[in-house]
Amino acid sequence: MSVPRGAVHAKWIVGKVIGTKMQKTAKVRVTRLVLDPYLLKFFNKRKTYFAHDPLQQCVVGDIVLLKALPERRSKHVKHELAEIVFKVGKVIDPITGKPCAGTRFLENLSDSENLTEADTTYLSEKLQELKVCSTNS
Amino acid sequence: MPMKGRFPVRRTLQYLSQGDVIFKSSVKVLTVNYNTAGERSEGARKFVFFNIPQIQYKNPWVQIMLFKNMTPSPFLRFYLDSGEQVLVDVEDKTNKEITEHIKKILGKSKETLEREERERKKLSHPGTFGPKKYHLRECMCEIEGQVPCPAFVPLPKEMRGKHKTAAKNEA
Repeated sequence: MSVPRGAVHAKWIVGKVIGTKMQKTAKVRVTRLVLDPYLLKFFNKRKTYFAHDPLQQCVVGDIVLLKALPERRSKHVKHELAEIVFKVGKVIDPITGKPCAGTRFLENLSDSENLTEADTTYLSEKLQELKVCSTNS
Repeated sequence: MPMKGRFPVRRTLQYLSQGDVIFKSSVKVLTVNYNTAGERSEGARKFVFFNIPQIQYKNPWVQIMLFKNMTPSPFLRFYLDSGEQVLVDVEDKTNKEITEHIKKILGKSKETLEREERERKKLSHPGTFGPKKYHLRECMCEIEGQVPCPAFVPLPKEMRGKHKTAAKNEA
């Protein structure tokens, strides 16, 4: 039977890589929230997808974004790797762009080491002015 | 006997259907990164606890993924059909502010929703009778002021078929 382009229902999905033992293919586990009809609570339902990864750059544990291929590549592979969202062990915080691990940054965020003497004296003078203003008002 | 859990009202259909964030059809995936401790992530935690069930109930085809304690700052990320990604910083925001913000940027507007509602109403005619799945009412006897259902109130003799045929045969 004729299959239309983009025959897969899921066009873009985000999942975690669970296996890379296949050549140029990553096994990705995708979880969706499904409502239990009696408890009326959402639970994660998992499904595995195979994604084409030509450069074999995925490691087990990466969070990846998959894009649906226009037609199936093989019997099971219907998606390809679009981008690696979070690389395991090298997570980059998208807001600041700095590497981080858990809830702390790996490198020092403040730029106080790059300030010169003139800058520090100027800044401390400005702080003094602010203190004077607050006492006057 | 009360319901189990901390805020069991979250598990009622009335609460779930009260969610007013309906995403545009181009939104495919929503990812929420938040932390389990810390004051700055408080709004994000409340958002995940209270509002994510409402959003998922109204948008069953959007994949929602939650990540805990991966980055120091909490944020939301939307993946659209065009490949575009929308990053929303939710640090120091209450859960109400977060829902208002995403409703404004990626939610369907009230006019769109009303237009879709009108389109759906046009498909079925309210004046026809039939099975409850496709029509409003099943039989004329349901309406007040009409002849009641003969299953509950017997019809007067003049309306019954056997009387009508007997009268016709006599004449």
